[in-house]
Amino acid sequence: MSALTMTRHLATAFTAMALIASVGATSAQAQSKPRPRSVSARPSPGIAIGGYGMFGRISFTAAESFDAIVGGPAGPIRGGGARIGLGLGGWFFDVGAWRFEGEGERVFVFGNEVIPLGIPVEVKVTPIEISGGWQFRFRRLPKLIPYAAGGITSMYYRETSEFSTSLENTDAFFNGYHLLGGAEYKITRWLGVAGEAAWTTIPDAIGESGVSAAFNETDLGGTTFRFKITIGR
Amino acid sequence: MYHLSPPRARTGAALVAMLAVWTAVGHGQLSPAPTAKAMIQEAALPPIDRGLRDQDAPRAARTRDDADRVRSSEGSILPYVRGSIIVKFKDDATRGAITASTAQVSGTIADRTSWADFDIVDIPADLNPETASAVMRLRPDVEYAQPRYRNHAMARPNDTLYGSQWNFPAIDMERAWDIQPGATPDIIVAVLDSGMAFRSGTVRYNSRFAFRLTPGGPLYPALGQVDVPFAAAPELGPSGSPRFVAPRDFIWNDDLPVDLDGHGTHVAGTVGQLTNNNAGVAGMAYNVRLMPVKVIQALWDEIFSSPFEGTDDVVARGVRYAADNGAKVINMSIGREEGGPATAVTDAIRYAISRGVFVAVASGNTRADGNQQNRLAQPAPDIAGMVAVAAVGRTLDVAFYSTTAAYVELSAPGGDQRQGGVSAGILQQTLDLDLLETYARPVSQYRPPRADSFAYEFFQGTSMATPHVSGFAALLMQQGITSPAAIEAAMKQFSTDRGTAGRDDFYGVGLINPRATLRGLGLAR
Repeated sequence: MSALTMTRHLATAFTAMALIASVGATSAQAQSKPRPRSVSARPSPGIAIGGYGMFGRISFTAAESFDAIVGGPAGPIRGGGARIGLGLGGWFFDVGAWRFEGEGERVFVFGNEVIPLGIPVEVKVTPIEISGGWQFRFRRLPKLIPYAAGGITSMYYRETSEFSTSLENTDAFFNGYHLLGGAEYKITRWLGVAGEAAWTTIPDAIGESGVSAAFNETDLGGTTFRFKITIGR
Repeated sequence: MYHLSPPRARTGAALVAMLAVWTAVGHGQLSPAPTAKAMIQEAALPPIDRGLRDQDAPRAARTRDDADRVRSSEGSILPYVRGSIIVKFKDDATRGAITASTAQVSGTIADRTSWADFDIVDIPADLNPETASAVMRLRPDVEYAQPRYRNHAMARPNDTLYGSQWNFPAIDMERAWDIQPGATPDIIVAVLDSGMAFRSGTVRYNSRFAFRLTPGGPLYPALGQVDVPFAAAPELGPSGSPRFVAPRDFIWNDDLPVDLDGHGTHVAGTVGQLTNNNAGVAGMAYNVRLMPVKVIQALWDEIFSSPFEGTDDVVARGVRYAADNGAKVINMSIGREEGGPATAVTDAIRYAISRGVFVAVASGNTRADGNQQNRLAQPAPDIAGMVAVAAVGRTLDVAFYSTTAAYVELSAPGGDQRQGGVSAGILQQTLDLDLLETYARPVSQYRPPRADSFAYEFFQGTSMATPHVSGFAALLMQQGITSPAAIEAAMKQFSTDRGTAGRDDFYGVGLINPRATLRGLGLAR
């Protein structure tokens, strides 16, 4: 990974972490005040349905493997989903999906040296995330809605390369789980923006062969930072 | 015009010396006469192509054992798959009509596969798919029907005798060539051998001594001055072609490494025979440039009293010469079993590798004859970037002659004519042995050689296996793996294990797998 890429990656991470930290700090400050009831999970008026589109960036756990094949351990993602407020306190249910696409070339790994072989390879990672979580509501900041969630991930992984037969390409689903947290800011009653960080693990999805075996990396998950545009209550 | 040798030669004849074969008497040592080799004519008649010599007796793999003459009884492979055919029914065909049609061939429709607008109809295995297809085509509800003909990689060379080169399909070269079609002239492969048929002309030698091939055998007379026509092998490239770079003869100490044996030309063919030219046979890395470096003498060189022999110092000089003149791969289908370690050669190989040159060395052909080790190949396990190569036959089992040793690192097709007869050798164009090895005839028919006549000959030996590895190394270099040590590591990592699991003394790590190696690694596979 180049220094520039690393810098960008860290900047993205710090920005998102700062956003989450600020939300957390707001919550902590509120809790330290003598009127703890000022911070409460305000019951929703009923079932609320919304959708969102998102874009962001993923840093793969299998950093060396992705770096070797697609030229970096991280890359952009885009996707969307739907969120349903259950009307039971701050509980919500979320179904989302996103995609990472990377292009690179097949390689040979010799010691610490990665030697590109000029054979194009395309990697597509498409997780479907089913989450359940809790939305926090603050009376003083009614437009800011922090949330935290966790759930299961079904990761569709497709890797194709030139000169490969269908049996030599990879086209499979792997299962894992994720944890996420973020905050939504309501610009209007129906429109909002959100920042979110998620950690996903898909254990034992890779690592049997390919560069992932050479680098002894088995997890197809990673950490994502996402920006969302939300529509709905 | 030939004349008999002077009395000095007859004196020499009494001192018959025995080398690997019984050869010329005291060449050079008895007489300080000037070097008996002179280029007398640049031009020559076009080379003679005597075609495929698949009826010749098997040529020994430089062992003392004769090869068996067992003919292969393999049948030809059908051009289609038995037990099913492809059928496209018309869009308006009813289910009942389809059932009635398939019943005509006792067939059933298999589940439709993806990306297909046709069906696969399973038919009885004993029913000829051509016949079944013809029956189906007569049905009004059938748009077309055909057998499931087999296809092959388009990189399959169109060389007319390619079908006799079992060795390339055996290591999946057709698909390997899809990935890396023959490298480019940027890669130079030096063939350190008996010379190479790389240019045309006529050279004058002096045969000054009579000799016996075997103790007590017939005495072959000195021939005096003889003019030997030679030519570039048509399948290696035209004379004067830039394909041949920096030729050097360390046996005659000049830049005219004429092959008077056929071994070097055959080896060079496996490395880089012209391919896809609608003629002859194919080679591994058919676009590379070839560097002919003569470091071992043929019997004719000895008969003509060459000033040097293929001693360790000569070989070491050849290795260094190749490394200093741009070679990226050195093929050494040579060696010796007698004596101690080849330190000079080993040092030269280390030097070459330090200059980015990959070196492949034959493991030896002695398994059926005492299994003595090839001293030149012994250091291979200790040198990253140098590989000792064993040979397998058509069955991919280790060849009967292939030396087994701890230094064997990889194996490649070298032929085994005990299992499959003459055609189980490795086919390449080389010098026509009928016109070259006249010393193999009765004395009355003994005459000067011709090195301008060519034929396609099946040879066997680790000498033939080694250029597969050298050509393979050239392909890998072109693909981007340039470090000799990395090339060796890649070859080993993707080799196909044979024999007992893991490395063994017969196959080394395994049989080379060029296609898998050139493909390298993806992320998950």
